Amino acid sequence: MELPIRMDKDSKTPIYHQIEEQVKALIAGGHLAAGSTLPSIRSLSKELEISVITTRRAYLNLEQQGFIKTTQGKGTFVAEVEADKKKEVTVAAIYQALERGIETGLRHDYTIEQIEEAFQEIITSFKAKEKEEVKKHGNLD
Amino acid sequence: METWIKVKGLEKKLDGFKLGPLDVEFESGTIHVIVGNNGSGKSTLFKQMMNLVTYDKGQIEVMGYSVDGKEESWKKKIAYQPQTLIGCVEFTGNQLQQIISPMYSNWDQSLFSRIVEMLNLPLDRKYGKLSQGVQQKLSIALTLARDTDILLLDEPTAHMDIPSKRLLMDLFVEWMERGEKLMVISSHQTEDIRKLADYLLLMRDGQLIGKYLKEDLSSSHKRYWLAQQLPVEKVPGEIERKNERMVVTSSAEEAESFFEARQINWLEAEALDIDEIVSYMLGGGRQ
Repeated sequence: MELPIRMDKDSKTPIYHQIEEQVKALIAGGHLAAGSTLPSIRSLSKELEISVITTRRAYLNLEQQGFIKTTQGKGTFVAEVEADKKKEVTVAAIYQALERGIETGLRHDYTIEQIEEAFQEIITSFKAKEKEEVKKHGNLD
Repeated sequence: METWIKVKGLEKKLDGFKLGPLDVEFESGTIHVIVGNNGSGKSTLFKQMMNLVTYDKGQIEVMGYSVDGKEESWKKKIAYQPQTLIGCVEFTGNQLQQIISPMYSNWDQSLFSRIVEMLNLPLDRKYGKLSQGVQQKLSIALTLARDTDILLLDEPTAHMDIPSKRLLMDLFVEWMERGEKLMVISSHQTEDIRKLADYLLLMRDGQLIGKYLKEDLSSSHKRYWLAQQLPVEKVPGEIERKNERMVVTSSAEEAESFFEARQINWLEAEALDIDEIVSYMLGGGRQ
């Protein structure tokens, strides 16, 4: 079994953290149902071209946070995760993505106000798009 | 993870070549890949770990037993695959299997048959009549099936075709999952380093440059393209610079604080490929 996980080797986020975040996102998004099998530490390490030490660390953290569980001799499985916790992950992912955008702006010497302006522009264009969709397809009741 | 092989202060002089002093340990549950130039001493080290070649100074311990020829029971815990099997030329694969299998109590006949089938090995032909690649495949089948705790493989896939290499990669992964195992491979194959290695041991001219966790090497080596000209002074960890705008470093973190302190901006930072890092470290420069 393989996971749709991609490592960003240029990123400053440690690799084990990248794995954790992506596995959590797969679980929160419903792509990995409770009870489904995860790849073994050794085979995921081979797929991702990293050491078992790093993969084990990611799995241990995921297990401690209740996202996966390991049964001796049987393997590693996705745990039952409460809806609240899944929502938390999704919210955190959205915040993180927005933060990254703001950081990119700051790196290019934008002021917070300029970034806010850009953000408003994007929001406005998204709202406009949404309105158009409603016009095209009628009311979304 | 336990330390299963300990090498301490190992030294050997041989016709103008000096190996060591080497100090290194190998832990269970991991794959160590030894990478080095030709003649760097990799094969000699393997043979010493098997007590097939003597050494002048130092000591080697395998699973608590001293490797000095007095007590040889530890040999049952190790399967060693040399670059070329000696004394097998006249035997067929079937005969070799009959000779080797009774010597190992864990011999796994079904694993042996599965590898034979998977790699399409002709067991009725004499070893000496097989091509180098097929000889290697047969010898891997004979080695893995011993199901020992430790596997020492000296360039196991050097002569093999690409599809067989891939099959073997999966076999090695599967073998590691049979229990608590230790695998030490010497290899020039980038794929072995990428896909199998937990630790990399770099050797040059009989010396161990170091033992590294694979990701530590990748995260510390970076190439930067700068917005301004490079300062005359060296960047921390600098290994190469070009056009006064591009610099390669082995200490990315220190290099970044160095740039920040001097208000030098970089347009792009790129992680190096593992084979590029190895070439730099073994003195081959950029590929």
